Amino acid sequence: MAAVAAKAEELKNLGVEVLAISIDSPFVHKVWNETELSKLIDGGFPFVMVSDGAGKIGQLYGVYDQEAMVNLRGTFLIDPDGVIQTMEIHNAPIGRNFNELVRRVQAAQHVRNSGGTEAAPANWEPGKPTLKPDIKIAGKVYEVYKS
Amino acid sequence: MCLRPGLKAPDFEADAYDPKAGELKKVKLSDYRGKWVILFFYPADFTFV
Repeated sequence: MAAVAAKAEELKNLGVEVLAISIDSPFVHKVWNETELSKLIDGGFPFVMVSDGAGKIGQLYGVYDQEAMVNLRGTFLIDPDGVIQTMEIHNAPIGRNFNELVRRVQAAQHVRNSGGTEAAPANWEPGKPTLKPDIKIAGKVYEVYKS
Repeated sequence: MCLRPGLKAPDFEADAYDPKAGELKKVKLSDYRGKWVILFFYPADFTFV
């Protein structure tokens, strides 16, 4: 949680709202933030902490583990139209990569801002060339990768 | 139901704690329409992965 908080400024600059969701009550969220997170993160945890008591939200998104009665590590990027653009689910003991999360937001925003005229290829990062889907690039994608 | 990119994110409403304001509030996903949102699920508070 401290690792994602470290990306708060970058995510904020990208105009992204983060909702952190677990089965804990709002009161437990409060105590966790006060007793622990605020000691790891300057200013405390920077995002809203949602309470998913019965795992109902987790079930809607397919991340609820019925046996452990917790949500697995699901990350869903939702665009301004409310449409899912990326999703990934890690099993509970496997942590996420927040550099990749930021990159993913940048790629999704770049594609959206292009009005669907550009695609972000594998390993794309801001400043790197995108692909402009067109019959003319069939068989010539290597030229983009070599540039 | 099977979720995938390209589909509408299912709406929900839930209680939440806002650490910056230090207060409880209700959160409804559809209220965030017009913004980019990340739903960040994790198993439980007081864990360390």
